[in-house]
Amino acid sequence: MLFYSYFKTLVGKEITVDLKNDLSITGTLHSVDQYLNIKLNNIKLANPAKYPHMLSVRNCFIRGSVVRYVQLPPGSVDVELLHDATRREARGG
Amino acid sequence: MDPPLILPPNIDDVPPPGLALVLELDKPLLVQLRDGRKLLGTLRSFDQYANLVLEGTKERIVVGSQYAEVDMGLHIVRGENVVLLGDIDPSLDPPPGLSLVPEAEIRRIQKADKEAERMKGTFRTRFDFLMED
Amino acid sequence: MAEEADATVKEPLDLIKLSLDERVYVKLKGDRELRGKLHAYDQHLNMILGDVEEVVTSVDIDEETFEEIVRTNKRMLPYLFLRGDGVILVSPPLRS
Repeated sequence: MLFYSYFKTLVGKEITVDLKNDLSITGTLHSVDQYLNIKLNNIKLANPAKYPHMLSVRNCFIRGSVVRYVQLPPGSVDVELLHDATRREARGG
Repeated sequence: MDPPLILPPNIDDVPPPGLALVLELDKPLLVQLRDGRKLLGTLRSFDQYANLVLEGTKERIVVGSQYAEVDMGLHIVRGENVVLLGDIDPSLDPPPGLSLVPEAEIRRIQKADKEAERMKGTFRTRFDFLMED
Repeated sequence: MAEEADATVKEPLDLIKLSLDERVYVKLKGDRELRGKLHAYDQHLNMILGDVEEVVTSVDIDEETFEEIVRTNKRMLPYLFLRGDGVILVSPPLRS
């Protein structure tokens, strides 16, 4: 549940989600669930000309399993907190 | 001292699995599938795997700046094939810059386009995504 | 005692625990490689890396000669969450 808890701290922030089909979507994180499914609002595509069908979509749900990366806003990463949470998780906490 | 921000969640704070799409019920949606197809329809039901029941489904075939729509009726989509669901903004649909053509025409364009792609030899990299898992 | 238990390697993930806050190399599906500082991970090998260099290798075919052209694309990312299902291997930093 570490990353679920972490992504909840990012709600309301702008993130970029890179999908396994090479789509790259930037938007405001609306919500996340325990499967790391992600809902984004006010989305923008890195390459809109290649995916014109996405222009009619403003808000979307991304299935967690198709995510390759999430690019995180630098100001929202507290490495000490992440280290502590990771050690707690590794102990089975 | 500030309390840590990344604590394991309290069990009561974790929503029951698979409620993520409640707000999308009965709305017109665009469903992007792993094989590149795009379905438009109204979401009538779903579960924790994102298996979907879509009513009044249409496949939207887009090639370049042209598109066609094919009626498909009621569909059950297996969750693992779902890439994303988008809420369709009616004021932006169909997307600006796309022109509607008959199905036969889009099939012809699609075939010519695929042939050109194949000649360029870029097919493999484009479809690696499907081979995963 | 807790500290001592932390430092023993009993299972593969313990080795990754020792790499926390160190630079690691991650090989991914789809001819992708990452190098970055490991800030978080879980049992699925989901990870957060910092100061990440991503290298994507792709093979194109020249339209005239049909020769294979190997391209590498590099980009730098400040912080990256990476989903564990794409991981082929994780290599801890070299210790000398």
